[in-house]
Amino acid sequence: MLPLSWFLVVGGALFSVGLYAVLARAHAALVLIGIELMLNAVTLNLVAFATYAPGGQFTGQVVTLFVIAVAAAEVGLAIAIIMRLFRNRATVDVDVVDEMRW
Amino acid sequence: MLSVGLESTWLLVALPLFAFTLIVFAGRWLPRQGAFLGVLATGVGLALLALLAAAFQRGGEGAFSVDWLRWAGFAIPLGMHVDALALVMLGIVTSVSFLVQVYSLGYMASEPRYGWFFAVVSLFAAAMLGLVLADNFLVLYVTWELVGLCSYLLIGYWYERPAAAAAAKKAFITTRVGDLGLLIGILLLFRATDTFSMSETFDLAQRGDIAQPLLTVIALLVLAGAVGKSAQFPLHVWLPDAMEGPTPVSALIHAATMVAAGVYLVARALPLFEAAPLALFVVAILGLVSALLAGALAVVERDMKRVLAYSTISQLGFMFMGLGSLGYSGAVFHLFTHAYFKALLFLAAGSVLHSLATQDIAQMGGLLRRMPWTGATFLIGALALAGVPPLSGFWSKDDVLHAVLTYQSPAFGLLALVATALTGLYVARVVLLAFFGGPRSEAAQHAHESPAILIGPLVVLAVGAAFAGLLAPLGVVRALLDPGHPYTFDPGLAVLSTLAAVVGLGIGWAVYGARLLDAGAIASRFGSLYGLATNKFYLDALYQAMVDRVVLTLARLVAFFDRRVVNDMGVDGAGVVTTAAGERLRYLETGKLYHYALLMVLGVVGITLIVLVIG
Amino acid sequence: MSPALLVFALLALAALVSGLGSVTSRSVVYSALFLLGALVAVAGFFILLLAEFLGLAQLLLYGGTVVVLIFFVLMLTRQEEGERVDNPWRWGAAVAALLFFALYTFAVLTTPWPAEDPELISIGELGRTLFADWVLPFEIASMLLLVALIGAIIIARARD
Repeated sequence: MLPLSWFLVVGGALFSVGLYAVLARAHAALVLIGIELMLNAVTLNLVAFATYAPGGQFTGQVVTLFVIAVAAAEVGLAIAIIMRLFRNRATVDVDVVDEMRW
Repeated sequence: MLSVGLESTWLLVALPLFAFTLIVFAGRWLPRQGAFLGVLATGVGLALLALLAAAFQRGGEGAFSVDWLRWAGFAIPLGMHVDALALVMLGIVTSVSFLVQVYSLGYMASEPRYGWFFAVVSLFAAAMLGLVLADNFLVLYVTWELVGLCSYLLIGYWYERPAAAAAAKKAFITTRVGDLGLLIGILLLFRATDTFSMSETFDLAQRGDIAQPLLTVIALLVLAGAVGKSAQFPLHVWLPDAMEGPTPVSALIHAATMVAAGVYLVARALPLFEAAPLALFVVAILGLVSALLAGALAVVERDMKRVLAYSTISQLGFMFMGLGSLGYSGAVFHLFTHAYFKALLFLAAGSVLHSLATQDIAQMGGLLRRMPWTGATFLIGALALAGVPPLSGFWSKDDVLHAVLTYQSPAFGLLALVATALTGLYVARVVLLAFFGGPRSEAAQHAHESPAILIGPLVVLAVGAAFAGLLAPLGVVRALLDPGHPYTFDPGLAVLSTLAAVVGLGIGWAVYGARLLDAGAIASRFGSLYGLATNKFYLDALYQAMVDRVVLTLARLVAFFDRRVVNDMGVDGAGVVTTAAGERLRYLETGKLYHYALLMVLGVVGITLIVLVIG
Repeated sequence: MSPALLVFALLALAALVSGLGSVTSRSVVYSALFLLGALVAVAGFFILLLAEFLGLAQLLLYGGTVVVLIFFVLMLTRQEEGERVDNPWRWGAAVAALLFFALYTFAVLTTPWPAEDPELISIGELGRTLFADWVLPFEIASMLLLVALIGAIIIARARD
């Protein structure tokens, strides 16, 4: 059987890629995409653990289900916020939302 | 016929304690603010005491204890030890408390804070009774402090008067010095014996299981506590000032009971002192010095209550002399008789004050004719104090002098007799100036006898002062306190002591009664001595200077440290640092999302690295 | 070369390429499409890991709803001039991400994982567990979805 660590590494790679997107992208929707990639990496890890952990299948998979559900809810809200932002500022560049500062 | 066992002795403490609680919490809804509860508590206590005495008669002494605190295989017991000494003290405290409270029903009647007086007196009674019953140094110390607190509260009863407040403070602080010694002594004793129990400790001391010089040090420290509480030299300065309190307080606490606590402590701990002869001698010496010093100061004092206060110091000195000469029964018997005739004298003085509104002897005169009952009872008390046979003071003082003359050097004995003579002198002075001759002021002119509720206790006490002494030749005293040495009448000693008293009285009569010698001329002859005496031998001034120079300087230093270091740097400093840091760190909030995200990632990486390296 | 290994390698390649493509593309639409590819690859992983139901759920939920929503957003927020897609911190971000990946991989590879054979669990059992042991989180999750729904409506509503 394939070793667990391989799956974990792939998950980590995906996570890092998503992390890059969150840090480096200037369009709000692209940041959102990065977040989604990170979440997916996490679910991948969870399911890998679920499968490979003795007696942990149920817990792992159920939790993953919840993560997916919550991610979906979060995307909905994020979309709403981006829409609002666009309506107020006519742009979705993340640099314009910098008024909550010193 | 109701019979109780000695294990019910704790009720004696519980009754006045309960009275205190009731008066404090429910006083405002009770008639006369609940004052009667205090009287009731001690009254019932007297009845109980009679039953307890019967039990003692039947079964001998008893010791009871119950474990109080327990930890790590070590327990602090709460013990009660009822023996002859305890019973004598219980009798004194309960009866004098009762009589004084009855007296106060009339004397304090016009006070707005009437109830509070009786509450604190009840608390005092409970504490004093607890002190006497304690078989455990911890309990003793707690009740010791409690008694001191009640004294503070009662001296400062009229706290609106600055003199009273200052006197209360002085009393508390002076006794504190002694109490500190007592505490250190108790702790040292515990380290040496691993127990707080008095009986066990005394056993160990007697068997020689506690090493010298530790034992002497401990005994001296315990003596320090006794010296403070009993106002002996050098901690005597608070007692004259304590006369700022109401007269019943002076009678109860500063004549009969609290000041006797020091004597009680030394008597109780005599096994310790017996094993440390040096400390025993110090006891006797301090007693002698106090007796002479206070006697001298009483001769030149003009305030009637202060004369009595100095007299108390002096008589307590006699008791200490007796204890220091291993005259246990004499000292305790003198404690017993002194309690009654001194309380009598104070209450009678209170009656005079009640009528004249002045305490200055120079403004009295001729009071015997105008206040016959007060005058007669005062006279009885005064003669008992002087040691005139067959009044009580004679028998007890004799027993003390017997011990002193047997145990100490002839020089010591001679000085003790001088102190006896001094007693006669100041007694004669006070009596003659106040009650005989012609009235020397308007107030004295219009003096009238006090109401019955004040006179009643005076009469009861006068009877005691007159006849209680006969317990000695009847053998009761020795049987109770010193069964091994039955009483024998020593005619030589009787003559000697009576002679000393008569000499003192005679000089007093010569100066103040028959005007054969002029007081003023004597005063100028012994000018420097007179000056010393009127300035209380500058002891008060010395102590005040010590406080001002040493204590207050130290206090200023500590206050500075507290203000600048602890407060400004420590407390405020934390706030200042936080604010300054905040003002600089706020520039991290740029508002841009990706900055925050980057910092988060760096943070996580950093922490993980740290954990990897360390953990 | 076992079939599992081959499938794994293909999926891994697909996931990585899609992911990288998603985050480096200069066109927003292409980014979203690459995202879809990555999600499908992950679904494949789920099936490889014998979690079939989850694989299906992944495809439905993510592929079906999340990506569609993202497309909506992209369409509705189009700007006339070219919009900026990358910000000047790119290289710092790359370094940070690489650093993170390095640390993570080091941690994973140095941990002794237990080696067990995976088992298949039936969907029926999963369902039973979900509604028996996990019923409370389930209810809370539904509440969460409701709240998110209401919140989204309120935030995105036209001003009146």
